Amino acid sequence: MLKPVNFGIDLGTTNSLIARFEGRKVQVFKNPVGQKETLASVVAYRPERILVGDKAREYLTKDPVNVFGNFKRKMGTDEKYYVVNIDDNVTPIQLSSLVLKELKNFVHTGEIPRAAVITIPASFDTMQSNATLKAGQEAGFSDIFLLQEPIAASLAFFNETDIPSKDGYWLVYDFGGGTFDAALVLASEQEIKVVDHEGNNFLGGADFDFAIIEKIVVPEIIRQTGIAEFEQELRTKYGKYEKLYHELMYYAEEAKKELSHAPSSVIEFSADIDNKRYDFSIPVTKEKADEIFLPIINETIHLVKNVMERNKLTARDINQVILVGGSTFVPQVREQLATQTGIPLNFSCDPTTSVAIGAAYYASGKYYEAAPEVNLHMPSDTQEEAPPTAPADAVNLKIELSCNATSRDKEEVLLLFCEGEYDNKYYRIIRSDGGFDTGFVALKAKKTEFLALVPSVNNLFNLHVYDHNYEELPAFARQFTIAQGKYTIDGQPLPHDISIEVDDVENESTRLEVVFERNSLLPQKRTVYREISKTIKKGSGDAIVINIMEGDKNARPSSNLTIGYITISGKDLSSDLVKGSDIEIQLHITDSRVLNTSVFLVMTQQEFKNVFSISEKQIHIDRLKEQYTQLEKELVRTVREFQHNNEEIWEIKASALLAELHSVKDNLMRLKNKDQSDTKYVLAEKIRRISQEADKLGGNERIAGLLEDYYELKEKVAQTINAADFEKEEMRKKLQKLSMGEDSLLHSRNVSYIENRLQQLRELQFNALFNTTSFLISQYVQWREWPKEMYKDYTAAKRLFKMADDSLEKEKFADFRMQVFNLTHLMASSDNPVKKEFKGTGIG
Amino acid sequence: MINPVQIINQLFEMQCKLQEAGMAQNFERNFNRLYNLFEEDGFIIQDPTGDTYSETRTDCEVSISGRLGSKMKITRTIKPIIYKREIGNLQLLQKGIAIAENK
Repeated sequence: MLKPVNFGIDLGTTNSLIARFEGRKVQVFKNPVGQKETLASVVAYRPERILVGDKAREYLTKDPVNVFGNFKRKMGTDEKYYVVNIDDNVTPIQLSSLVLKELKNFVHTGEIPRAAVITIPASFDTMQSNATLKAGQEAGFSDIFLLQEPIAASLAFFNETDIPSKDGYWLVYDFGGGTFDAALVLASEQEIKVVDHEGNNFLGGADFDFAIIEKIVVPEIIRQTGIAEFEQELRTKYGKYEKLYHELMYYAEEAKKELSHAPSSVIEFSADIDNKRYDFSIPVTKEKADEIFLPIINETIHLVKNVMERNKLTARDINQVILVGGSTFVPQVREQLATQTGIPLNFSCDPTTSVAIGAAYYASGKYYEAAPEVNLHMPSDTQEEAPPTAPADAVNLKIELSCNATSRDKEEVLLLFCEGEYDNKYYRIIRSDGGFDTGFVALKAKKTEFLALVPSVNNLFNLHVYDHNYEELPAFARQFTIAQGKYTIDGQPLPHDISIEVDDVENESTRLEVVFERNSLLPQKRTVYREISKTIKKGSGDAIVINIMEGDKNARPSSNLTIGYITISGKDLSSDLVKGSDIEIQLHITDSRVLNTSVFLVMTQQEFKNVFSISEKQIHIDRLKEQYTQLEKELVRTVREFQHNNEEIWEIKASALLAELHSVKDNLMRLKNKDQSDTKYVLAEKIRRISQEADKLGGNERIAGLLEDYYELKEKVAQTINAADFEKEEMRKKLQKLSMGEDSLLHSRNVSYIENRLQQLRELQFNALFNTTSFLISQYVQWREWPKEMYKDYTAAKRLFKMADDSLEKEKFADFRMQVFNLTHLMASSDNPVKKEFKGTGIG
Repeated sequence: MINPVQIINQLFEMQCKLQEAGMAQNFERNFNRLYNLFEEDGFIIQDPTGDTYSETRTDCEVSISGRLGSKMKITRTIKPIIYKREIGNLQLLQKGIAIAENK
């Protein structure tokens, strides 16, 4: 069956890319390791593994007998590279095939490319072209079509831009990271061909970076330090300034990038030079950069002019210059090229991907005879184009993995045990986020691998197995997860969540904010940042209470056990503590479960430290009283809810709990904060038990009903946000954040937790409505008609009416929104005297 | 829309400069607070300085200073590693830019 090739590969000297044509468009694939579109054309034979790409490039200059780049230049020659680590020779074809195989791994659609268009430089002769074909075959491509790079670039531009006539000459100016090529292309309706070309294999973007160091940075260092021979020392391999050299190369590249959109940049760094510390801040202006870049650019333009002169062409004879390669982003390159050649430039296509894109367009018109599809390993739709693959039992190989599913370390040991035909086969393990990759490692009877872990997340790893030719054997692929920071037998886990109690002023209640989750391994340390929810005057008896509680983080505070509290009263303050100022609460729980707390009040710059032993109960009487009130209110509401729904049995149970709660009221209200007796512990325990029982009222049906309400409301909130006119994105993010906790919502089976989430949704819905102009107008129309007694300051309200009317008339809806918002603050109902009675914890 | 990665990079650079000037302690709380804000938004920020440099570690782009050896460590970090935690997924937003040496 004939199938379109569709895949295009830019097999570059420095970097390579793979793209696919699909439905009129071309997709450039990203490397699953690092998410870059480009793959460094470098192969490293490290002692135990083979690395391909960016990681291999890190070793290029340090291990030249085992790491190879720029091998494209040797294609078609009989040159071989002796690899010390494997004690064998490798050819440029083998190295190129490894790069091509690695590019195949970029294709994440499940499809395995069987045919491809591979681009070659215009200068490649027949031997070099055939060598590229062979590399493609070794990489597992059954059909390969070669395409010259300038033609590929031209095709990308012709397809991606709207050019009425393509006939005539085009100049392809390809200035990459390490090489330069200029090609003259002649296009007609029948064909596109390369007429002539020139190139320099040692001229690229890195030369700009080095020019910045050589001409700007080094003279400034010499001026400040007086060390005349600094440049020689900086250039010395393994010299004392080698580390600084690498830093400077990075800063120079950053400055170059900044200069492409800003008139100046500054290179700032500190360095020890001749045992003295220097801080440098070296300005790099565009003017100066233009001056030092000019000789490099002139060299490329000289080559362009050579091509034009050789072909007796003037600027008028050439349609446009097509820009290819990352170095064409440098504005001076574009300016000089346009000025000195007089030919209009075309930079409408991404110069870093255009060759691969053009190759994919070309591939869409090429066909190959696809082998009959045999799909033995996976029945999924995405495997439609998978090649005939031997099933797991056809290869006599058994691999077993052994590692901890959880870890508290930065890395975890994995043991691989192999039985059967493991010789000449390889494995590779990649962490799903791309931050870890073993490269190709030869399978052995027993192998150890250290897997790097990202802290506090589930680290997902993919194991792949390959044959002697680095072709994957998909039947052996598998996934495994290591949870970092979770419970292991090595450490003592926390048996319950530890939370702090914070205020919910709107609802005159408090809720829990979890600090350490259940099963977290001890020791644990965390800082919680909150705001003060009420003003506390210096010297007053008013106080903030940091109530540290143990229990279910999703339950109401009264269901938890207080394991420590800190009271900071007005008498402890060095100045007034204003509502809204920041408080930092650091909790540190040791291996032996000693709780250290440190509270820092940002406004007064005061720190309060306490140490608690979790074996001793701690009760703050005032807080307990408020928790009682909160629970009482909730139970009254619950009884009414059951009455309303005619759920008699639950009503009886709820009423009994309420009566039981009332039985402690007198004793509790009589208690003073300094009470020495055990009464407070007895009462606290009773309230805690009633609170826990209260969460079970209504059984599964009540929970199911609340969850139904939750999902219904969530849908409505999403619709309200969609219809909002302001702050849409912020609100969407908030909703997304709320949705992220749905797992715990489903698993909690806890009424107060679900009700709390419902409340948060309602608040978000209200927020969304207040960001919707039509809603605001309807509200405003009603509020405008209210009698003046409904406002605290009617004169001010009238001023706002006038301003709001004016805004509405001029359709200044953002102003209108602000004015309506201000109006709500003038309403008599905005002062709630009851709220003033609510003491809470003082932590918002 | 401001790119949070760029803000984190600037923060990190400021912190490094203050460390070099011996003033970082004065601002430690502020930096912790700022990083905490990003962490609450799902970002995981890692400074690999002091970590063992390994060829399997693809979360950093490393320049090797001096000769290769068996005790390679990351001795300088120019940009931190940044991950973003999405629903059930971890994404490497920025590879660290670092220098490794044999120590």
